Amino acid sequence: MSELPPTTSVKRWLVTTNHKDIGILYTITALFFLLFGGVMALLIRLQLWDPTSQILSGLAYNEAVTAHGLIMVFWFLSPFAFGFANYFVPLQIGADDLAFPRLNAVSYWLYLFSGVLLAISFFQGGTLSAGWTIYAPLNVPMYTPSIGSTGAVLALAMFVTGTTASTVNFLTSIHHSRAEGMGIMDMPMFTWSMLTTVWMMLFAFAALLAVGLILSADRVLGSVYFSATEGGSLLWGHLFWFFGHPEVYIVFFPALGVMLELFQTFSGRRLVGRKWVIIAICLIAVQSFLVWMHHMFLTTINLEIKTLMMATTIGISLPFDLVVFALIYTLIKGRIQFTTPFLFAFGALLLFILGGITGVFLGAIVLDYEFRGTYWVVAHFHYVMFGGATALFGGAYYWFPKITGKMYDEFLGKLHFVVFFIGFNAVYFSMFLGWETPRRVFEYNPEFQIYHQFGTIGAFVLGLSFFIMFYNFAKSYVSGDPAGDNPWDYSRTAEWAVSSPPPLENWPNRPSYASGKLEFVKDYVPDGGPAMKTDDNGDVATDGGDSHSAHISDYPYWDKHASHASIWPFALSLALLVTLFGFSGFADAVTVVLGESAMQSEINISNPIYPTAIVVGLVGLLYTGVKWGLEDFYAPPTEFAERWPFNGVEKVKLGMWFFLASDVIVFGAFISAAVFVRYNAGWMTWEPLTESLPGLINTFVLITSSFTVILALVAARRKSRQGVLATLGTTILLGFTFMAIKLWEWNHEIFDRGVTIGANAHGDPIQASIYYVTTGLHGIHVLLGLVIAIFLFVRVYQGHYLDDERPIEYFGLYWHFVDIVWVFIFPLFYLF
Amino acid sequence: MIDPVILQQGSDWRAQAEVFDEIFFVFLALGTLVGTIVVAYTLWNVYKYRDDGNRSDEKFDAPTVGELPTGQGGPKAKKLFLSFGLSAIVVISLVVYAYGLLLYVEDGPSVQDDGDIEILVEGQQYGWVYEYPNGHTERGELIVPADQRIDINVTSQDVWHNFGSSELRIKSDAIPGEYNENWFSVSSEEVEAQGGEATYTVECFELCGPGHSAMKGQITVIPQDEWEEWYADTGEDSESESIESAGVTFDASAASGVSA
Repeated sequence: MSELPPTTSVKRWLVTTNHKDIGILYTITALFFLLFGGVMALLIRLQLWDPTSQILSGLAYNEAVTAHGLIMVFWFLSPFAFGFANYFVPLQIGADDLAFPRLNAVSYWLYLFSGVLLAISFFQGGTLSAGWTIYAPLNVPMYTPSIGSTGAVLALAMFVTGTTASTVNFLTSIHHSRAEGMGIMDMPMFTWSMLTTVWMMLFAFAALLAVGLILSADRVLGSVYFSATEGGSLLWGHLFWFFGHPEVYIVFFPALGVMLELFQTFSGRRLVGRKWVIIAICLIAVQSFLVWMHHMFLTTINLEIKTLMMATTIGISLPFDLVVFALIYTLIKGRIQFTTPFLFAFGALLLFILGGITGVFLGAIVLDYEFRGTYWVVAHFHYVMFGGATALFGGAYYWFPKITGKMYDEFLGKLHFVVFFIGFNAVYFSMFLGWETPRRVFEYNPEFQIYHQFGTIGAFVLGLSFFIMFYNFAKSYVSGDPAGDNPWDYSRTAEWAVSSPPPLENWPNRPSYASGKLEFVKDYVPDGGPAMKTDDNGDVATDGGDSHSAHISDYPYWDKHASHASIWPFALSLALLVTLFGFSGFADAVTVVLGESAMQSEINISNPIYPTAIVVGLVGLLYTGVKWGLEDFYAPPTEFAERWPFNGVEKVKLGMWFFLASDVIVFGAFISAAVFVRYNAGWMTWEPLTESLPGLINTFVLITSSFTVILALVAARRKSRQGVLATLGTTILLGFTFMAIKLWEWNHEIFDRGVTIGANAHGDPIQASIYYVTTGLHGIHVLLGLVIAIFLFVRVYQGHYLDDERPIEYFGLYWHFVDIVWVFIFPLFYLF
Repeated sequence: MIDPVILQQGSDWRAQAEVFDEIFFVFLALGTLVGTIVVAYTLWNVYKYRDDGNRSDEKFDAPTVGELPTGQGGPKAKKLFLSFGLSAIVVISLVVYAYGLLLYVEDGPSVQDDGDIEILVEGQQYGWVYEYPNGHTERGELIVPADQRIDINVTSQDVWHNFGSSELRIKSDAIPGEYNENWFSVSSEEVEAQGGEATYTVECFELCGPGHSAMKGQITVIPQDEWEEWYADTGEDSESESIESAGVTFDASAASGVSA
């Protein structure tokens, strides 16, 4: 464990795991991507100035369109919101930090480095040019051949990986670390909106990860999912929009949370119908997974399903109505203060109302038929998504005093709002007027030129307005007035109860709402107890309180101070960046010529940089992963906390369950893809590619290994080192047996039967792709499990885990999950 | 609302454009009305309850830092549900209304004795190929008769395109491996009004590659007798198939589209 360096040191920002530091990193990085995506937007607008002349080629224009969409949706909107979430959710719920500080750091670094990978893709023969929706089959190398296209897809997959880590972290934190007395219905609305956001993310981003992995397989390994005419295009549509619709709310909800906070703070009123608002946003979160096909009304979906999707779509607009009315009624009879944050939040509401009404148009299928692919859609989703994000800028002004301790300049803030609001409506309302223009088309009907020119002017006004904000923040940070702990008259939430900026571990004493309002209690600590809290004067608090030694004995490291620094999140993410950079050029740099057998096959390498990067990156991943595992990093458990509905579930176990839930969706998407394509190809026309016997043996091998893992846990509970070594060792051997049979099977398929990932001597090539990719994903899970098992084995040999068998238990959960997945894969690929 | 039964083959069919324009107008009118009311009401109240420093402290229960949100509800919640109910009624009735017209658009007007023409439309980077029932293919320009229901069966040879004409208000995704059915019809009055030949621009509404912007085509509608003359000529160079058999020709492909 290393100490956290001061904020003036560069090293601090590389090693920090503190939620507030990471929140700042997220926010600043997201603002950088706002500029990046904004430049792309201005290039688009310049191209639209005149339909008869171009400044960009068709390909470059498509790259700008794609990069603009991807950057704004993924690398700006969500991370910007997560900057605030990182900083303020722990404060609002009374926690010291997020549940897994190092995991939080790795989320950030994966986010940053995925952005770097995306930036690199521009220099690898051009980045992706298939639009942010990346429709198939335009997304396969045949139509978008550049290495940069693959790089962008891998960047997206890397981003999603980081997001998944972040999701697990927030879910565990909010469900596990709420201060005593803060029931789930008592949480501040921003935290509520983040909770529903991460619940949606858990499932939606898993689907995106799956579809990103399949696309990566198509682009890097040569599988043929999305070029298959057996439903390949629609497969992309379904999987992408299963993610894509919840994504709309994932980017909007944090902004909604900011609106709900700010409307209360700047009117002095409490939220009207709070309980109903919470129920409404929970309903929206659930319903968001039931509407995705309204993005596909014009594909060949039949009328019954379209009708159903229309009904669910209208259904999801109703809870939003309720939330909007609740926001409006909250203001009534208040004392509304027109500060900059309020103006942005209020502006966001107005923009969202317009976005919502125009969205109802799209819900009516007949209208959608004509709006599909036009600027109506573009205008609508900018009003909703960017209109919502308007509130996030309000959040930036609202929390700026808390983060920096300085007050922003009110005049410049208001000026920013006015210029922003005018620019916003100029660019996006003009899109409604010229809505008949097809999307992503620059040689449009000259009839609409006046609207597009007006929009271009608006876009520059909008873009420039942000420089007022940057100047305001920079100036205020250097020479603003001290803000004090709580600059707002009617704030309620706990972040305003501590200093600006808050201390490293947030609280003077343990925060508690047990009495109905926030108090800082001084706990009694038994001999040599956990990290002692000090009172306002810096004295160690040792008086009062009840004894809770039983609680503490659950946690073996109770005599430790909390850790706040680790370099391994940064190093691990860097290693993944190098690996994925290598994979981006793999297909171009490496060609495999198959011979009679594996021995006689040749591997030709035309460009050594990419394969080298893969090897270096993988070694780096293994090294940093092991160092991570060995690091003595202590994130103290929250001893008194509200945990409904997960009372009694230990922190890491809860995190593991959340992770496995998202992995269920990943495999679910792969298996759905297999079923969907096979259904389209004609179910009975496919025979299993493989013999069933090796699969059957492997089924028994894996099920047996599940038993040995259970035995390992039993042995660890009995503190029998030899027992653990024997059972864990058997598990590892069984795992290797599984992999060896798998290897034999693949070898047999490839060299004896002529079935490779992109070719099939016995039927549809897509069948071979599905077989290799799905069982391959499972194989990677087994391999990863083996790496962890070997790590545990060595540690047990060194004498660890006998006092605390939880790592073995959690590894067991993962291993059982991998085995259960096989039970689904086996019949699908070996029996029927 | 349209009753397909009373529709006669010919010029009194409602084109998709008409149906669209009607619904669009209704939505626009109601949307503007509702939007204006809500925004005006909100703005008025925000102005009315601005903090001008002159309000009495009576009855004003200012929130404090660290309070738990409890004890809410009251008269405002009732108002909340009233507004919610009203908005739900507006939205649901709008959609039910629009749904009735959807059923018409989905099926198209009924035709007697296979009086419709089925044309296979294939998108490819970056243009459209039209295949007539007699096997004749045209590139770029789709020539069809007035007063007749034209059924199109849209697919793609390479990437995902979208075949659409803004003026006719028709649009269909062109997806490789899928066959997407749609229809349109132009009346002879309209053809007369445009001087004996009505032309409509076709554009691609789904990003399909660097040439997407320029992927344009044209639908040309000519009077029925002229078209029949033209069509008979095209049949000479290929094996002639009658219009009647067209339905059969495309049924197989249409079925595969449905099964997807």
